Amino acid sequence: MNDNRPAGFDGYWQNVLDELALYPPRVEVETIHIRNNESATMYGLRLTSSDSYRLFAYLSIPAGDGPFPAIYWVPGQGSVISPIPQGSASQLRSRLVAFTLAARGFRNADKPYAAAFPGLLTDGIEDPAAYRFRGIAADCVRGLEVLLSRPEVDASRVVVHGGDLAMFTAALGEGATHLVCTPGAFYRALDGAKGTDSEIADHLRHKPGSEPAVAETLSYFDPRWFAPRVTAQTLVQTAPSGGFLDKDGLSPLLSAFPDQPDVYESQQSNYKDGMFVEHWVADQLGFDAPILPEHWRD
Amino acid sequence: MRPPPEEYVSKVEKPGDFDEFWDGVLAQAARVPLNPETNYSELRSDDEVEVYETFYDSIDDVRIAGWYCVPREREGKLPAILTLPGYQGEPPIQKGWARKGYAAFSVAPRGKLRSNSQFNPGYPGLLTHNITDRNTYSYRGFYVDAWRGIDYLLTRDEVDADRIGATGGSQGGGLTVTTSAMRPEVKVGIAGAPYLCGYVDSIELTRTYPYEEINDYLRLHPGSRDEVVETLAYFDGINFADKITCPFVIYVGLQDNVCPPETGYALFDAVGSADKKFYAADGHGHDAGKHKIEHELDAFFEKHLKA
Repeated sequence: MNDNRPAGFDGYWQNVLDELALYPPRVEVETIHIRNNESATMYGLRLTSSDSYRLFAYLSIPAGDGPFPAIYWVPGQGSVISPIPQGSASQLRSRLVAFTLAARGFRNADKPYAAAFPGLLTDGIEDPAAYRFRGIAADCVRGLEVLLSRPEVDASRVVVHGGDLAMFTAALGEGATHLVCTPGAFYRALDGAKGTDSEIADHLRHKPGSEPAVAETLSYFDPRWFAPRVTAQTLVQTAPSGGFLDKDGLSPLLSAFPDQPDVYESQQSNYKDGMFVEHWVADQLGFDAPILPEHWRD
Repeated sequence: MRPPPEEYVSKVEKPGDFDEFWDGVLAQAARVPLNPETNYSELRSDDEVEVYETFYDSIDDVRIAGWYCVPREREGKLPAILTLPGYQGEPPIQKGWARKGYAAFSVAPRGKLRSNSQFNPGYPGLLTHNITDRNTYSYRGFYVDAWRGIDYLLTRDEVDADRIGATGGSQGGGLTVTTSAMRPEVKVGIAGAPYLCGYVDSIELTRTYPYEEINDYLRLHPGSRDEVVETLAYFDGINFADKITCPFVIYVGLQDNVCPPETGYALFDAVGSADKKFYAADGHGHDAGKHKIEHELDAFFEKHLKA
């Protein structure tokens, strides 16, 4: 196991944030009428990130007087960004500001760069300065900034939700009050890739001499080094017992948070796992009960 | 309290000219040469599995991509599995099936990455693209793209044309239904949490995406409801299901928040095969409890494709 936090970790990410600060977000807002419903209005946002890259985001604002608590679903490992995640109750939009971001390369933000799936995870992976996720992490932080700039958002209740990128966002950005995170491919990435069909394994098999460079790049993206910077109230979802990402496997990460996070072990059921998260979020945001999809209700 | 899903009565109605419509589409497809292309991927191949990036032509002059995997060590003809993709995700490279001794083809119908240069309605968007006209609706070409995955497999010398199966989850489950119905070469099918089955039921049973795309559309275009319902009847997996004669498995989650389990029961009732099996997983959502029955599903394919 590589337990070495890179000496230049803080400097690397400070450079990312400094570069981001050079580019004002220059937000354009347009109503997406087809996604409006009885309880919320949907907007499409265009916004600028590092390198003048133009991103896209969905922003749903509840009807009525705010401010409202907000939830920011950070991009995952797929090309598609939905207005709200597949399977979430649409009625959530009646009481939450919902925000989803298409980072560079993802659909709706795929010009000039269209990411390949598979392919994105190893794009530029032999150089920390050129690795594609360096810019994507900046994009995610920019998304949080833009969300928090909205007057409809209650800044005391802002949830960032997702995988490794969610943790990066909560650690690097300012203003996330809550974090729901499922650690994934970046946690001890080389160890996790060995013996799998992952993109990283493909890359190393194809270019075995690149392992030191790949290891160096990925060391800047290991969630363990971000965790100490997370001040948000945190829920970590782990894989079921027995996997690389189970509670034991993640113990170095879990112990790296400044405050002990809540930990939930997956039961390999979208329903049970989803129910736990919905209840946790509702409780943290001060609601009596979650708004659940129809088939999760009694 | 919702009534038990097995008691639900589907509102799906089959149009009188359903077969005529699809015969016309198939005739159109038959006039399009496949022009298959198979390119070895050094990057994605390993010691056990050869991986190829593939392309072929479909109707409307759309070029369709896919991933094809075969075991390096093989003797004689191989059984094959066509895997169909979900709604949002990209088709995976199915090395796992190849390691189990199958030729595995994973298709990216139009609109998926690598198949989207000529057609790209996006997500959300695909489900309602040209939805008021069955002759232009997105899934007309999308279904054909999937079915032509069988044609691609038939071009491969190492594939045994008499031992082809089809499988997928969610949208892949729905495509497994339509492909098994329309392509007699499919000798066994396994459909998980099938989407695209019971459209008009689902938009009443759930308010989640992707089905919510249709509710969004109808909210903006309330005068189009009759046309939308008419179009969807031609594309509903429940209306294809009586054509399925091969051994067939459907599995659903009873707390599925994406594809209502009620529609899974209605679909199963409509499947024409005498050899059919249904798994309903209590305590499971859109995952449909697959991890609990993985061995049984593997054994089902082995029984019908390797015996």
